[in-house]
Amino acid sequence: MDEDMIFDPSLKKKKKKKTGFDIDAALANEQGESASVEAPVEAGDVDVPEDENLDLDNFGKKKKKKKKTFFNLEELESALPETKEDKPPAEEPEPQEENLVDDLDLEIDFSKTKKKRRKKNLDELVAEEENRGEDQENADDLHGDWVSTDRDYTYDELLERVFDIMREKNPGMVSGKKQKFIMRPPQVVRIGTKKTSFANFTEICKTLHRQPKHLLDFLLAELGTSGSVDGNSQLIIKGRFQQKQIENVLRRYIKEYVTCHTCRSPDTILQKDTRLFFLQCETCGSRCSVASIKSGFQAVTGKRAAIRAKIA
Amino acid sequence: MSIQNLNTFDPFADAIKSSEDDVQDGLVHVRIQQRNGRKTLTTVQGLSSEYDLKKIVRACKKEFACNGTVVEHPEYGEVLQLQGDQRENICQWLTKSGLVKPEQLKVHGF
Repeated sequence: MDEDMIFDPSLKKKKKKKTGFDIDAALANEQGESASVEAPVEAGDVDVPEDENLDLDNFGKKKKKKKKTFFNLEELESALPETKEDKPPAEEPEPQEENLVDDLDLEIDFSKTKKKRRKKNLDELVAEEENRGEDQENADDLHGDWVSTDRDYTYDELLERVFDIMREKNPGMVSGKKQKFIMRPPQVVRIGTKKTSFANFTEICKTLHRQPKHLLDFLLAELGTSGSVDGNSQLIIKGRFQQKQIENVLRRYIKEYVTCHTCRSPDTILQKDTRLFFLQCETCGSRCSVASIKSGFQAVTGKRAAIRAKIA
Repeated sequence: MSIQNLNTFDPFADAIKSSEDDVQDGLVHVRIQQRNGRKTLTTVQGLSSEYDLKKIVRACKKEFACNGTVVEHPEYGEVLQLQGDQRENICQWLTKSGLVKPEQLKVHGF
């Protein structure tokens, strides 16, 4: 038992290598898994179902797995949140990766860039698929394993236990760390050569629960241009902007004015109180002031003669 | 044994010092503005007035191979203007030269 519990670096390496598997493998894995949860099938196995001679790495891995492998904290954490709530969407994004672009998922965790995130997501999915079966297996006989006996428990066991309890007691907390909130991507279209239209501007305001004016102020201040909402409730911005650029700015807006600074939950209210904006979190109840929107210095970019003519 | 209340420590010393530090918010705002066509303009606002902005702009112009000026603004003080998208360059340069701490930099724009 004990030698299994010692964290084996080579194990992790294998894991890493495995996460590099392509989507097909993951998908196949998933199907295979759902068919037989009892015996978790490996991605490598499903890749070549008829092939009898698996490569040595995978084989060794599988053997170990049967003996109940224990995961270190990072792996556990990476596996935890996904198992909780992302199960339905987990199956979706893989077959249509191109369509993913449409489904911009703004992570609360903004420290990672989008691309990185997405790639990691896939990896995590694969890893998670593998873990899921094991987790169940582990959790089942883990509790009974050492509770009744008087042998020493290991750190891994305790860790597993505490996470299990945490998951049981408040599912929101553990998984909340990586809670996603899916947003429609901004639809950005160029109008002519000098203007850009942000078609679903009001829709995005609604999903963020923010006043359109507030978001408008922020966008215009950040982009250093002028613009307005037209009759079709789309935003017309002066200047050329691409969807990616607008996304970046939106991301910054969400980070600053939508997600709670303490618990990063998007469930917040923005209130104005004596000229200051306060962000009140509905989840954790924290309240903090947020920076006011200032456009700052604006350089003269137009024709000076025109400006002079206007003033005079 | 020392009694906290009898110490000559001024609890507000920090606050006074920091408030002096961020005369202009303490932040250096780096912005980008679109001009006609693909041309852009980078502005750097909030650099401490202790520095000679003219010398900075001279160095930047040479370093980034772009033109630039110092503009005097009644509200924001002296503002650096550089031609083109120099946000990356200026951020690196300012931190490398030690004029601005990385956490003081605030980059705006897309």
